[in-house]
Amino acid sequence: MPSFTLTINNDKKVISAEPETPLLWVLRDILDLTGTKFGCGKGLCGSCTILYKGNSVRSCTLTIAAALEGNITTIEGLSEEGLQPIQEAWMELDVPQCGYCQSGQIMAASALLSKNTRPSDDEINRAMAGIICRCGTYVRIKKAIQLAANKLEE
Amino acid sequence: MINTLDRRTFIKLTASASGALVAGVSFQSCAPEKLPATAHEFSPLIKIDTDGWITLIAKNPEIGQGIKTALPIILAEELGANWKKVKVEQGDYDKGYEEQWAGGSYAIILNWDLMRTAGAKVRHVLIQAASNKMNRPVSELSTINSEVLHIKSGNSLPFKELIAEASQITLPESVEFKPITSFEIVGKNIPQVDLYKQVSGEIKYSIDVKLPGMVYATVSKNPVFEGGVSSYDDTVTRSVNGVIDIIELDNKAYGGRLIGPNSPNFVNGIAVIANSTWSAFKGAEKLKVEWNNADSRKENTEGIFEGFHSQLTSTSIERKDGNIDIAKRRAVSNVEAVYEVPFLAHVTMEPMNCTIDYRDDFCEVWAPTQNPEALQDGLIKLFGLKPEQIKIHLPRIGGAFGRRFYVDYAMDAAVLSKKMKKPVKLTWTREEDIKHDWYRPASVHKMNASLDKKGKVTGWQHILSNASRKTSLGREGNPAGTEIDEYEFPAGFIPNLQLEYGHVLSDVPLGQWRAVGHSATAFAVHSFLDELAILNNMDTIDYFLEFLGPARMVPVVDDYKFDLERLILVIEKVRLNSNWDTVLPEGHGRGFAACKDSGSFIAEVVTVRVDKNGKVKILKVDAVVDCGMVINHSGAEAQVQGGILEGLSAALYGEITVNEGATLQSNFHDYQWMRMGEAPDIHVEFIKNELPPRGLGEPPLPPAAPALANAIFAATGQRIRKLPINKS
Repeated sequence: MPSFTLTINNDKKVISAEPETPLLWVLRDILDLTGTKFGCGKGLCGSCTILYKGNSVRSCTLTIAAALEGNITTIEGLSEEGLQPIQEAWMELDVPQCGYCQSGQIMAASALLSKNTRPSDDEINRAMAGIICRCGTYVRIKKAIQLAANKLEE
Repeated sequence: MINTLDRRTFIKLTASASGALVAGVSFQSCAPEKLPATAHEFSPLIKIDTDGWITLIAKNPEIGQGIKTALPIILAEELGANWKKVKVEQGDYDKGYEEQWAGGSYAIILNWDLMRTAGAKVRHVLIQAASNKMNRPVSELSTINSEVLHIKSGNSLPFKELIAEASQITLPESVEFKPITSFEIVGKNIPQVDLYKQVSGEIKYSIDVKLPGMVYATVSKNPVFEGGVSSYDDTVTRSVNGVIDIIELDNKAYGGRLIGPNSPNFVNGIAVIANSTWSAFKGAEKLKVEWNNADSRKENTEGIFEGFHSQLTSTSIERKDGNIDIAKRRAVSNVEAVYEVPFLAHVTMEPMNCTIDYRDDFCEVWAPTQNPEALQDGLIKLFGLKPEQIKIHLPRIGGAFGRRFYVDYAMDAAVLSKKMKKPVKLTWTREEDIKHDWYRPASVHKMNASLDKKGKVTGWQHILSNASRKTSLGREGNPAGTEIDEYEFPAGFIPNLQLEYGHVLSDVPLGQWRAVGHSATAFAVHSFLDELAILNNMDTIDYFLEFLGPARMVPVVDDYKFDLERLILVIEKVRLNSNWDTVLPEGHGRGFAACKDSGSFIAEVVTVRVDKNGKVKILKVDAVVDCGMVINHSGAEAQVQGGILEGLSAALYGEITVNEGATLQSNFHDYQWMRMGEAPDIHVEFIKNELPPRGLGEPPLPPAAPALANAIFAATGQRIRKLPINKS
């Protein structure tokens, strides 16, 4: 089996796997980074969202062969040096219900805020449209993104 | 019982929730023989450590409804614990914890007195111990912040210094509860106990379990309901890198498809075992299977609905008050309308999965189940195991909504682990999850109202026809009981009322869903009431209040009465909160519905804007809820927001259709769910009272769809009588 060097949470990892293996399953089954969740396998629900080169990407459809060029950040990497303002905002507003989609929500929100510290409602809606929350935490997610934006400005 | 709960059972349970359950409390002290050196487990739910930390066991499955936080809050309140020094641990399945399932909005209702009793008993022994140590009478002592306080002197003793003394005292048979007026924790905004682990990605769901030597599995099941396997060719699958084995799942070897109402067996198919989930998925894609569909009715949605419609004239009468025929004859006019709701899937974000280590006659399970009792029953029935040979862990669950009452996926995993003699993590693909769900029953509702010359309703007829979840998959019982029964609103409010049921059999697997029956009937009833208000040229809320009549206790069935004053109060408040009586711009509309569900009262107003192309934008929802006492305000508000969004999302998009006996939908592209930009602002207000807490998981859902449809009518003049709205 071919091996690939991936940069995950700023750490080099050598992985033996088929080139078309989705990053999701490398993270979950090989590296035990289970904060990234399987939801649909087709890039439709966003539970598996990670950052690749700083962009919000669905890891269930990103093959490892296509993920060699930049850093991959997972939810575990986001909180490596303590919780980020966005995670603090999530906690202040007690956002999750079942919580399963929340890593994906937080990663997508983090990609948005890294590029746009003052997102409008429409910009939030567009950036978050790919991540389904089945429990209906959208109301609190939107407030948490606004709160995190305020925290980042301070 | 759980699988087939009808409203009659529910109302009986809730009516008698207090006394019966307290008497049944079996939590006992561990009867220590010597002084404990360190921590002491005062009850199976409460452990106090010498460092001052208190460990409380959350006994019910956490499916996102917040019960892992709510039940320990009640325990901590009665105990007088300092919440900041409370650790909550999830309990495994254990008969010692009593009822341990999640669903039907029951968890708080059934556990309120149970948790209070458990907390109060331990408080009692701590106070007794302090009384001995402080030489003060018990009557002068109380607990607060994990201390026993002597109010008069201001002296106090922390719990941690009372452990040795208190552990010698037997828990009392019965105890008095704390006065509600002295509550310190209940009703506050308490962040959920797993919050940090959730936002940091550390929290482990069943799907995240990894055991030494574990292999990974997935299944490819016959897409046709109740079909079997004729033959299969796994040559290509076996050549996929990482694939270890192929195992046919044949339920005939385990007693067939269904074993009792609580223990559904699995659907036939082929399982692929591999060294990773991805290899298993890839292997399953390459299987070539000849399915055996000889036993299928080969149904399609159109035919199923035709069956429902034709059964509207061949019904059983579930309730008959006065005489509907005379009312129809004497009426100045009779108004008729027919409503339809579709089959709905659950699409929990965490797909069906289960990890089982079944070796050496011992079966250890990590399952996302709402119903561990059914899981244990299933293992006993399929494999002849004894309860002591089974251990069920209950990790946090990525959504349930009724799907996880059924344990078919766990039976799959048990079969595979037993055959492999290894721990197996089984993960269904989203496609399998949607195609082998236990759907919310579809139904057709024919409504008739007889009106007098003032437009007042003198006769009400509601005929519901569908395939019942009670008789789905060969289960037995009264099919009407789960679909429409003698409690259906407005029973008790109208002198001439008839509720009827037309029963159809279908292969479509049917089961629980959030507010399963009421989600359908409320759409018909509250859309119809809006139609009657419009016909009478009246404001919908004015018309509904007139329809209800003055605040009173309305006798419905036997001793069960509808406390109308509580419903009227939430209606009046939502009217104010939503600015109901102000004028909206062109293309905007407000819709209203109010219900009683699971002992709670809720009124909702949905505000929409509809553009020239008919595109609906939901702008805002106002909800006012009387669920009795609120246990955790943050969690309760989340439940209301979630229930409303689920109701709106299903109303807009939700629909499962079938063809040739198989579900057509397969993933989120064709089973759509509301996205963030479509979610309205939701304003929730709770009525403050000291009445016993009632259900909250389901009540917010039923009014959402009719309130939305009524709002669309207000904006456009277009009446929605068939869900989902995007197909109307």
